[in-house]
Amino acid sequence: MSGLLPLTSREIKKWYRNPTFFIVGLLQPFFWIALFGSAFDITRGFGAAGRLILQGAPNYITFIIGGVATTTALFTGMFSGMNIIWDRRLGTLGRFLSSPIHRSSIVFSKIISATIRILVQILILFIAALLIPNGLEIASSFSAFDVILIIVTVTLVSTLFSSIFSVIAIRVTRQETIMGIVNLVNLPLMFASFALFPKQLMAPWLADIAQYNPVSWSATIMRTVIINGSLNASQLSTVLNNFIALFIVTVVVIVITYVLSESEIRQ
Amino acid sequence: MNIIETENLTKIYKGNIRAVDNLNLQIEEGSIYGLLGPNGAGKSTTIKMLTTVIKPTSGTARVAGLDIIKQSMEVRRIIGLVPQDLTTDEDLKGIENLMMVAKFYDVPTAKARENIDRLLKLVDLQDAAKRLVGQYSGGMRKRLELIAGLVHEPKILFLDEPTLGLDVQTRSLMWDYIKNIQETKNITIILTSHYLEEVDALSDKLSIINRGKLIVSGTPAELKNNVGGDILTMSFRSAEDMNKSLEILSNFQPTKVTEKTARFKVKSSEVVLPEIIEPLKRNGIEPLRYQVDKPSLDTVFMDYVGRALPEEEGEGDSRKMMMNLRRLRR
Repeated sequence: MSGLLPLTSREIKKWYRNPTFFIVGLLQPFFWIALFGSAFDITRGFGAAGRLILQGAPNYITFIIGGVATTTALFTGMFSGMNIIWDRRLGTLGRFLSSPIHRSSIVFSKIISATIRILVQILILFIAALLIPNGLEIASSFSAFDVILIIVTVTLVSTLFSSIFSVIAIRVTRQETIMGIVNLVNLPLMFASFALFPKQLMAPWLADIAQYNPVSWSATIMRTVIINGSLNASQLSTVLNNFIALFIVTVVVIVITYVLSESEIRQ
Repeated sequence: MNIIETENLTKIYKGNIRAVDNLNLQIEEGSIYGLLGPNGAGKSTTIKMLTTVIKPTSGTARVAGLDIIKQSMEVRRIIGLVPQDLTTDEDLKGIENLMMVAKFYDVPTAKARENIDRLLKLVDLQDAAKRLVGQYSGGMRKRLELIAGLVHEPKILFLDEPTLGLDVQTRSLMWDYIKNIQETKNITIILTSHYLEEVDALSDKLSIINRGKLIVSGTPAELKNNVGGDILTMSFRSAEDMNKSLEILSNFQPTKVTEKTARFKVKSSEVVLPEIIEPLKRNGIEPLRYQVDKPSLDTVFMDYVGRALPEEEGEGDSRKMMMNLRRLRR
């Protein structure tokens, strides 16, 4: 896809050359793991029984790290389309559209750069979780395959959310529209999922909704491998089912993004 | 040979706004062609259609023999665009912006470096090339915009209001660069402007556009000759005065009459004015004022459109300009 490389490298440069944007993005994972890890700690007061709620995790941070990683992907990915609106408002898009590049490369450069940003944020998130007291404890049988599985999962979920919100931006002319949509869906997507709480603690109707939420799929995959390391048959089938669902939905969304951005992007 | 031909090119925006209305243009290869008209006349929309940024509602155009709708990708390869807005990225260095554009056109890196060096020299930006564009002055940014449209050596360069928002000195400097580019590269340049002097100074041929329609085409000299001399506008104290005067001056045919003003086309105002003032004075009529306009593109415009070229019109354009100015001021 011609244009993808120069446009993505532009996005990455814009990211690390903006000190505020860069540092805030890197600090965010620290805040999240510290705050979420304490604020929502559902095991407090349950003693040893708490570990049963946590599906075998030694502490709450180990339980939610996959969920926090997923919400990080969600929150950063939701803003990936914002730069398309800026490019449109400043006229830069006009230059891109008159160049012999694939129109979808304009959109995918935002998606790929958002995914790269998210991967860096999540790397920091994991480091932060390992550093804080009573933090992340990874299962002893955790393997290189698990690391790869986590990276692939994060990449998929980041691409998914970045694509959805970039595709909205191909015709939108105001930042406020995106902000409004983001505000409308961010908390519902986070709380109507298994990212922070196990299914057993949720109202049945909410749990019914949550099982169709990609945030749940991604959080469940990561949680299962982080807690268990090498998986038994039933854990493996949980991971596999969630992974297949995430993979199919992401591919479908990528195809839709490609088709729409090739034909529908406007100045 | 015509490098650009439009056939009933039309763009209708939402709300049934006919931005461009059955436009038929022929532009010769190797010239600077001016599109002149007030803001909101449809110049930018025409450029956007010819550069394949937007699709026409009906009609089409051929750019270097390529159809802008069916062969848009091929058209994009051979054209360069310098949009009205500042499109280079403030967070990138000057040279990074240019390299990015070069990569859009798959210019090999060594060749791109060579082209970019030459272009930077051409507009005196060598020293600023490694600085972030955010630190450039308004004039520097416009110069960078200009050469960003040239890194891939296009056959046709579109300049949309290249000097909008620049001061007089910087503007004439831009004119020199544009002329220089056309002469050294022998490319076709299509230029839009609502500055008469700009089109007069730069273009070999021009078309005047108003409300999306072609008003007239020709060389600046031809158009001025067509006006057939000076335009004399007389304002009277009352309609009565005016009607009486028109009777007295029955050997002059007015081109336009409004309530209290009459406009005449005269060969030479220096000779004719006494012949007009004398008989009126004898009959006790003293017009409020006489206004003489020497042939210029302004009088051409007035002659064809019936009003002077307004300085500012069209909310969209002025909003954009304000945005540019805000950015320039930073």
